[in-house]
Amino acid sequence: MKIGKARKNISCFGSAELMRERGKNCLPALYLSLHEGLKMAKTDNGIRICQGLLILGNVVIGMCGIALTAECIFFVSDPHGLYPLLEATENNDIYAAAWIGIFVGFALLALSILGIVGVMKSSKTLLLVYIILMLITYAFEMASCITAATHRDFLTPNLFLKQMLERYMKSDTDNNNDKQMTEGVTKTWDNLMLQNQCCGVHGPLDWQEYTSAFRMTHNDADYPWPHNCCVMNTRSEPINLDGCKLGVPGFYNSNGCYDAISGPLNRQAWGVAWFGFAILCWTFCVLLGTMFYWSRIAY
Amino acid sequence: MELLGVLLALAGMDAAAGLALLPYVPRVAPGAMPGKVTATTFVLERPRCIFDPFANASDAVWLAVAFADASAAFKNPTSSAEVPPYEGLPTARAYMTLQMAAAAYGCSAPGAAVLRVGGDTACHGRAPCNGPLPSPGPYRVKFLLMGCGGPKAETKWSDPILLRRARSLSTIDPTPARRSSTAVVIAAILASLGAALAMAVLGAVGTQLCVPLCRRGLGAHLPYRTHHVPPALPHTLPPACVCGCTPRPPGPCPTK
Repeated sequence: MKIGKARKNISCFGSAELMRERGKNCLPALYLSLHEGLKMAKTDNGIRICQGLLILGNVVIGMCGIALTAECIFFVSDPHGLYPLLEATENNDIYAAAWIGIFVGFALLALSILGIVGVMKSSKTLLLVYIILMLITYAFEMASCITAATHRDFLTPNLFLKQMLERYMKSDTDNNNDKQMTEGVTKTWDNLMLQNQCCGVHGPLDWQEYTSAFRMTHNDADYPWPHNCCVMNTRSEPINLDGCKLGVPGFYNSNGCYDAISGPLNRQAWGVAWFGFAILCWTFCVLLGTMFYWSRIAY
Repeated sequence: MELLGVLLALAGMDAAAGLALLPYVPRVAPGAMPGKVTATTFVLERPRCIFDPFANASDAVWLAVAFADASAAFKNPTSSAEVPPYEGLPTARAYMTLQMAAAAYGCSAPGAAVLRVGGDTACHGRAPCNGPLPSPGPYRVKFLLMGCGGPKAETKWSDPILLRRARSLSTIDPTPARRSSTAVVIAAILASLGAALAMAVLGAVGTQLCVPLCRRGLGAHLPYRTHHVPPALPHTLPPACVCGCTPRPPGPCPTK
């Protein structure tokens, strides 16, 4: 089927004028023109269906783009305050993936509108521009998904344990950058331990089993573990400091903070990766359909 | 007879020393407390009632702490002035601390059920000092009831108590055990979709560009609609006139 801009060529042998000239001798021609008309009507329906499907596909892409932008803005805003931990590990690529996701979402929205206009006008130029820009957006979103999925694997308990022992309450910092990262890590851990009532990565014994920067400035007898691990009263003081130092149940927090860290980070990484993957699968189908439609448009 | 004499002599020695050996063995507090043994402190169970038969109101109970290999050579001090101090631990390999009134170990004495050895970081030179232990040990402890005239009762030595030794944090290996299969799946599927898309675009653009070129080059037969005009039916047409001749009107045929 050929998709013409205006359906002028509907007669059997060519123009309608010649057909009139034929007069009675054109009975077979009449039959043929009717046949062609029916075929055109069927292909007309086919065109309509194709256009409808592509417009629907682009509408879905547009809405998914908005959702992706919203989701990535939520992640970048860091509601759990865990960004300093990742920054200190120098492994904050899942945040880079979320940033890319914001811009890809906007691009998908804009391109879906362009695609809808191009399909409705059956414009070869518009659709070519649409396809090329979509491919570039596709590449960026691919990068974002793969980055989020692979870098999530690096966030092991040992990574956070080592970083906590090296940086928490470190007093001798080398340079400004080091000082900033150390302060970020210390503040984040203090907030984590107070808000989630947890201690260390696996438990308070992390501070006993390994040497740490904390141990350099805080002696073992007074601080077997940081005082933020103690159960606090309303004035942010330990309710029983001696009980906390001994580890009497009820006066200290015995569970580790790893769940409080890995939960939000996993949700972020998988949210970006899987949602992006779903969008890309759908976009793949829509792009294939658009390319098929584009190749069938007559100039 | 001789045996009786030996026994009497031994009893006499004891009576002269006045030291009762209590069968109690000090031990680390039994509860589930992660802080009961740290790198510089440990927590003992507080014995109750054991000193009551021997203690006066003015007596004090001391804790003798010695390195495990020096406990056999430990000699009880004869008076409170000769108590080995905390600072002498590296040389004397023993010290005594935690001086408390004997009433604190009474049957109905209030207070915590545990004693923390090494918990006082603010005593400097002030005897008796319950300072943190300088090395992981192992240590052995015993309780000693001291009166005005010297030791009156003692418990047995405890089992060796080994303190925690912290590992260096450089032994922590943060690398992940293995790549998770989900990441591999996502990467593989996305890469193949991307490659398929790129090839599809190249193919579509290529055929669009190639079609006019290829047609010219190969002269391929492509179906295209012909505007076929059938030959006109023979109608009455005027005779062809050549060279400007004028048409003759039909006249009678020439006679022979």
